[in-house]
Amino acid sequence: MPESERENESHMRRILGRVGRAEFVGRAVELSRIASHPVPGSRGLLILLAPTAGVSELLRQGYDEIFNRRGDVAPVYFSIPRGQATAVTIAIEFLNTFLLQYLAFRRDDPTLCQAPLVLSDLVKLAPAPDYDWIDELLNSYNRIRFGANDQELVRLCFSAPDRVPRANGRVFVMLDLVHAGAGHTKDSRWLRTEMLRTLNRSAHPYLVAGLRRQILSTAHEADLSFETLQILRLDELRESDAGQLTDFAAARQQVRINDESRDLLVQQFERSPFFITTLLQAAREKNISLDSFLACERLYVDELLGGHIHQYFTGLLEQIAPSPELRCSLIKHLYEATLGSNARASFEVWRKLLTIAQDDLELLLDALHTQEFVNWDGGLVEAGGGPTVWKDFLWIRYRLDVQNEFRAQVVAEMIARALKRAPQTMASRYRRAAKLKLKDLLVHFNYQLVPRILLDYELFKESYRGATTEEISAGLDAETDLVRLPQVFHAALCSAYNRRIAQLPDDESCVIAHAFEGSAYSDDNEIVWLAAQIDSKLEVEREVAELWCERLEALAACCGFARTRLFLIANEGFSTEASRLLEHRGGHGVSRQQVELLTARLGEFADAGRSPEPDEFVAILPMGDDNELVAANIVEQIARRSNFGPEAINQIKTAIVEACINAAEHSLSPDRKIYQRFRVESDKLVITISSRGLVPSRQATGEGTKAAENLEPTEGRRGWGLKLIRSLMDEVEFERVDDGTSLRMTKYLRSSPS
Amino acid sequence: MGEPTGSFVRSHCVGSTAVIYASDYLNKLTGERIERECRKQLDGGCRALVIDFSDTQLVNSIGISILLGIIDVAERSGARVIFSDVNAHTVELFNMLGLTRHVVLVRNQEEALLSADHTASEALPTSH
Repeated sequence: MPESERENESHMRRILGRVGRAEFVGRAVELSRIASHPVPGSRGLLILLAPTAGVSELLRQGYDEIFNRRGDVAPVYFSIPRGQATAVTIAIEFLNTFLLQYLAFRRDDPTLCQAPLVLSDLVKLAPAPDYDWIDELLNSYNRIRFGANDQELVRLCFSAPDRVPRANGRVFVMLDLVHAGAGHTKDSRWLRTEMLRTLNRSAHPYLVAGLRRQILSTAHEADLSFETLQILRLDELRESDAGQLTDFAAARQQVRINDESRDLLVQQFERSPFFITTLLQAAREKNISLDSFLACERLYVDELLGGHIHQYFTGLLEQIAPSPELRCSLIKHLYEATLGSNARASFEVWRKLLTIAQDDLELLLDALHTQEFVNWDGGLVEAGGGPTVWKDFLWIRYRLDVQNEFRAQVVAEMIARALKRAPQTMASRYRRAAKLKLKDLLVHFNYQLVPRILLDYELFKESYRGATTEEISAGLDAETDLVRLPQVFHAALCSAYNRRIAQLPDDESCVIAHAFEGSAYSDDNEIVWLAAQIDSKLEVEREVAELWCERLEALAACCGFARTRLFLIANEGFSTEASRLLEHRGGHGVSRQQVELLTARLGEFADAGRSPEPDEFVAILPMGDDNELVAANIVEQIARRSNFGPEAINQIKTAIVEACINAAEHSLSPDRKIYQRFRVESDKLVITISSRGLVPSRQATGEGTKAAENLEPTEGRRGWGLKLIRSLMDEVEFERVDDGTSLRMTKYLRSSPS
Repeated sequence: MGEPTGSFVRSHCVGSTAVIYASDYLNKLTGERIERECRKQLDGGCRALVIDFSDTQLVNSIGISILLGIIDVAERSGARVIFSDVNAHTVELFNMLGLTRHVVLVRNQEEALLSADHTASEALPTSH
């Protein structure tokens, strides 16, 4: 084999990584940071994980990259095993892993990493420069192993990398503590602290990864100097990356999955690689296709009741609350906290509820706090947290263990609950995606100059209504009347300030931003912007604008803000009267289009189903750009070939135009596509227009044809599309789909009157 | 700030009547352009608006809702709105959505101008 090919192959070797590099998504920056960490002079790197972030595969990929680089750094990856292992067995396991992986690197033989060798075998594999120190290490180990001093043995094992002679290179230990998260005994806490302390004393670079609360508290207990440490925070995967991860994992597991189910899993598991891959593994084991919400939720409930997810949470709970009685009591109180009962209670209240000793309760709360199931600062306990999958697990255990209900009933109710929740989960995701990122927008104001017209809807409407994007852009470029935005130094959701102010949404659509105007940071220049996005398809009228002003002003008064400015955003802007009101109150009322233009000018944001049948035409069109006309042209050709008359063709064309507009306007579609099927039958043409995204609320509450027939415009002069379609076509009905809307319209072929 | 160019709506005035030509597809954007032109003509003193649909092949419901807005604005200005050269299918849509209750439909522009002229003379003050 030529040298270059061998080098290439050697570089591509997968050693500990469970997926190929091409399938490892979403963590390129973090991987590069880890792989470049062991440079001369570097010390510790702490990786702090959000609970659903996932890190093990990242570390394994980092291991492979450093191994394949063939430099002077020998990587060692060690994951603390889940379960009831003692400090001694973990330390011995570490020593074994360290020596195996070190020798694998020194011999450039990756197969050694997985070889079932024991310590006594390893010395025989040592190359000459390593033989002496390994032999000496194992002699020391054998001396201490059967003595009474466990702590000495643990220290010997974890300090083993220090014995590597400088001339033989450096060792980079990557310690994965993720699975040690619930180990809350004094022994396990001592072990974690001792490991970190020993690694930190070493001259070699090291990395420790684990749940963020656990790692920080361990680092404090080990009395590490944070000045010498580097910290990498790992948040949840981005949605697109989690989607890609799901696709790759499904392909690996040979599980059939459609886009709708994939997106549901991403949402339901809150982008957690662990839960997503666990469910896909279960699907492979049971040979189940995940091509509908029903299939996903059935399997999900199976997993919660007796599968890998059940085992995971049960193992966690057994470590946190070892006795069955305590566990049952804990489940009861954690579940009731999700309903609001004792969601905020003192340590004393918890002690009475669980009837356990103070020390045990401290360990228990510490473990729950580490998992972020509760927040505990030593005094008040805030319960009711954790991901949806944890809350579902609690719900099931509560019904089975506390309420003692029949399993079949709990299973059926959980599946129904999950199925009913699925469309809401997706709708919430679409709404979230469609909402303007108000917080980001305000933070990026940063004292920039923008055309005043972008903050004044009346002026904007007067100048640019009906103008094209290019015309508006050119007009804004020519603007000379500019206004300087404030510099925002803190922005947070309104709900973070006062949850009791009624009817303020708990999301990105309502934000408070503290800022300074002018060039000096002074009391006179300090101002608070209160921003809210109002849902409306039409211009917002004075009454609605006034209501929002009053809500935000009440919040400002409640928080004691001295100077404020209201900033209201509505999709289609504000009526003249509403604009006047806002002007009178010193606020700004703008349209979504203005905000998008403003965002672009701030400059820092630069960023179908089954196969067709033989007699069926299928078209997929992007939403927007008058593409409904393309659909109308397609259907005209098909209808003409099917001998429809000119009047009927016009009716069909108008109906399809309206269906496309409805899909584009209301769905908040994630892929911005309209799926169209045209089926020609002997006496009729059946057209189905589908899109992913939100289900219109009126359809969601009704049934098929009946819902379509009852639809009447409720929004003044908008919302007539369906009424028109119903008048123009012979049959109109909504088909049930997992995600989004599918409207089926039928037109019968009638012979022309003679 | 300059007037946006490129969003041209064909129009002309005959006396105090403005004739505005709708495009081949009446949707939100083209509807808003017509609305803008109508407002401009009303502000300039026109007493009647003739919207000529001879080029219009297709209209959608958003376009129709904008036409209703134009009728409201014209009513408030005391002006009359006349639609001319509307094809049969579009008339059917206007009927379905109740537009024909608020507007005069005529066959062609000539009839529209006659109708507008008649209305304008009715509205003139009588001198003695």
